[in-house]
Amino acid sequence: MSADQPRRVVGTSPPVKDAAQKVCGTLTYPVDFELGGMLHGAILRSEHAHARIVSVDAGRALELPGVIGVVTHEDAPDLEWNGTFFNYRGRIFDGTARFVGDEIGAVAATTPEVAREALLLITVEYEALPAVFDAEAAMLPGAPQVQAAGNVREPTVYEWGDLEAGKSAADEVVTADVSFGSQQMCPMGRNAAIAQWSGRTVTLYAGTQTPSEVKDAVAEAFGLARSRVRVVALPLGTSFGEFWSNNFMMVACLLARKVRRPVKIELSNTECMAYVKRRHEERCRASMGGTADGSIKFIDVHHLFDNGGYGFKDDVGFLVLDLWGSRVPAGRFECQGVSTNLVTAGCMRGVGDVTMGSVVERLADQLAERCDLDPLEFRIRNQIRPGDELHAAWGGHLLRHDEQGYQRLIDEVTKAAPTELRENWPELFRLSSGTTVEMLRSAAEEFGWHEKFVGWGRPYYSEGPIRRAVGVGTGIHCCGEEMEGNTDATVRIMKDGSVKLYCSVGRQGTCADTTQAMVAAETLGIPLDLIEVETGDTDACPWSRGSIASTTMFRTGFKTWAAALDAKRQLLELAAREVLDLAASDLDIRDGVIYTTKALHEADAGGCEPAGGVPIPDVMMRDREDTFGPTDSITGRPDFSMPPSMAFARHFAAHFVDLEVDVETGEIRLLHYLAAQDSGTVVHPGVLEGQVIGGAVFGAGFALCEQLHFDAQGRVVNPTLSDYKVLRFSDFPPEATVRFAEDRDPVGPFGARSAGEAPTAAPVPALAQAVYNAIGVWVDVPMTPEKVLLAIDAGSESA
Amino acid sequence: MARLHVNGRNYELDIEPHETLAEVLRGRLGLRGVRVSCGEGECGSCTVLLDGAPATSCLMLALQAEGKQITTIEGLGTEDDMHPLQQAFIDEQGFQCGVCTPGIILSSKALLDRNPHPTAAEVATALSGHVCRCGGYTQIVRSVLRAAEEMEAEGER
Repeated sequence: MSADQPRRVVGTSPPVKDAAQKVCGTLTYPVDFELGGMLHGAILRSEHAHARIVSVDAGRALELPGVIGVVTHEDAPDLEWNGTFFNYRGRIFDGTARFVGDEIGAVAATTPEVAREALLLITVEYEALPAVFDAEAAMLPGAPQVQAAGNVREPTVYEWGDLEAGKSAADEVVTADVSFGSQQMCPMGRNAAIAQWSGRTVTLYAGTQTPSEVKDAVAEAFGLARSRVRVVALPLGTSFGEFWSNNFMMVACLLARKVRRPVKIELSNTECMAYVKRRHEERCRASMGGTADGSIKFIDVHHLFDNGGYGFKDDVGFLVLDLWGSRVPAGRFECQGVSTNLVTAGCMRGVGDVTMGSVVERLADQLAERCDLDPLEFRIRNQIRPGDELHAAWGGHLLRHDEQGYQRLIDEVTKAAPTELRENWPELFRLSSGTTVEMLRSAAEEFGWHEKFVGWGRPYYSEGPIRRAVGVGTGIHCCGEEMEGNTDATVRIMKDGSVKLYCSVGRQGTCADTTQAMVAAETLGIPLDLIEVETGDTDACPWSRGSIASTTMFRTGFKTWAAALDAKRQLLELAAREVLDLAASDLDIRDGVIYTTKALHEADAGGCEPAGGVPIPDVMMRDREDTFGPTDSITGRPDFSMPPSMAFARHFAAHFVDLEVDVETGEIRLLHYLAAQDSGTVVHPGVLEGQVIGGAVFGAGFALCEQLHFDAQGRVVNPTLSDYKVLRFSDFPPEATVRFAEDRDPVGPFGARSAGEAPTAAPVPALAQAVYNAIGVWVDVPMTPEKVLLAIDAGSESA
Repeated sequence: MARLHVNGRNYELDIEPHETLAEVLRGRLGLRGVRVSCGEGECGSCTVLLDGAPATSCLMLALQAEGKQITTIEGLGTEDDMHPLQQAFIDEQGFQCGVCTPGIILSSKALLDRNPHPTAAEVATALSGHVCRCGGYTQIVRSVLRAAEEMEAEGER
């Protein structure tokens, strides 16, 4: 990779591709999308948390003028569909409801109003079944079984070193047992699915982070060949894990198949918040021990989480074991997922990080206090650095392989990569680049940490009921994950020199269309303005993991880079052969014009414009010697794979917060915030700043106030923004600062890694630690005023 | 027959008593920049200006807006002729998914009309009726401050 060449695009902040549409209100989101002759669907939802559907009488609904058709479980294929990373497993409808609001049928009508009215005319006879709402209760013998496969997934277990020896070596041991409520994505802009059949093929338009996954899911749900399924991902509002493949998308397809007309199902905000997906409810019991000099000797984590009705996961992200466990001689991690009769739960931004991650950070803080060490120093001393061993690389899917076997597999898979590239690739199972250490040092200076941290459990300012204190928290996440398929991209150079990039990353506010185009522009030497991106049409884009698991810049970006490289090679070979009578290796492209590398060197040395350029159209339009005419387009495809990123790449966050607690009201107010981020090379500073500060606000919301509440029947009682509190402008310091560390990655595009999840992880421990420093007691999240006051009372009783 | 004054045009419309202003603006007048998200006046994405003051159009009846000057994002500026606020949001990357953006820009317009030189804290307070779930609050505040500067410079020219 041209690492040392000056970059012309990467590292700048041009307006993102759809900027004008977004600020002028002209972008078409799923709720705005319409097809000619389209009907409107509404979903019939279960009133019970667990019930068998005895009968559905839609006779009266079908007589309502405007109603075209109804589907129930009798219309649904007897086929199970699976979401990626086990986020969903079930049939479209199967005659059983597994949570309040579960889809049991749907109506298609000429207007949304008629469709909703028709729902009220449908009579459903239920046989209520015993329900279970708590993961631990669901594990007990005799518990109601939510899924046919049983409630309890196989535990994911990973151990390293000699745990008993670690425990014996520890002078100090700290423990925690923390339960977490469920966070709701609260998707801005809601979502809609519009399905249209033509003969045996179906096209589904919807907002999704994972167009390829949705295509796979539709094919599974209907037993269709992949060639008969097309998914078009539309620009979406926020998603944060909510809109991958969802059953309401399948319902739209089913309804459209039944009525043989295009059907749109538009979700209300309450449907989005109560019936689609949420973060798991989780419980983390963990212990950590170390020696008095502040070195950690063991970490032991037992983590339990609920999957809701249709989630099927057996782990959450446990990247925190890399952050804190790499230098620790022994540890054990056990994680288990359990089905419940609550709305489906699954991966959400920072999965495992904001929960398990914050518990491990709390243990580290408590151990640091026992050792009388500053939290900053304790992190610098114990956290992972490049070259250190990675545990999460082994703890997940890779357990299926032995180390030698896996290395052989990787060698085989990546053998097509150019030798000069592979020579720079890092040793696997060790961290390639990035660390919290430098960020902690430099950001602490800027933040004024050493002036404001005055000791554990001690505020730096105290007047009346106000206690002010600072906290620091760290976060880590992966840079994509390679199982279930290889993310791909293609690049097409048109005959006029413009370029289309195809990578199905979806569009949900991460501006990945722009940042991927920047990678292509930098690689090709073609201006960003000449590059357009297709991010959602599976008939055009090759398969991609989608924008999940912090995949996009690292793994998709690598493939975008490799595809652009391949297109550029073809173009230069064509230019060399047809026009310039030179070797392709003597040519390069700058600002969309082909020059000899000699001309470019001379221009750079002389500080002038390069001479003798050939515009790309002049090459493409030339009649070729091997065909009957000119070249219409050149398609670049990656012809080699990158190594598995779980085995070497992580991204990091270190966040500092200054806050005050009112010990009379329990209110917490954030005063100042500094977020440092190591994503390797920064491709678009403006976009990355948005990811970082957005992650901070998201994590801070989880730390302070966000929680879904369920009643005794398993119904979400706060599925609205009136009753579910999220952070607003005045809840977060408007002058919060973002700083980047840029430790270049040896594999990622131009040295970039990933971005979006570590900054969601770091705020939770930062805020919790600051609150501890303010009031001297640990408060479980969400640290609502009530919980702060209860914690203060409990603390003074025990004191 | 009701009369609505929207973005400088006068419309005569048959409006049902139960129709919300957002429904009429989006569905009847085709103004899709009125983004309806929460549908209960909490997120602020459906904000329009009524006689220059922000109002959540999902939460009010269309008939309540009779006799008022209604401004939607379409009336503020277009892709070919942007308002300085829209340009400032682009320059500061003051948006991510873009759903909340039109409403936030309109509330910012109302703020700058009555307070052309706000502080960051004043901007944050003025925009607290809005949720940006992408969490881009700092970049949005910067966008508004930049627009204030540029509008002042524009005025001086």
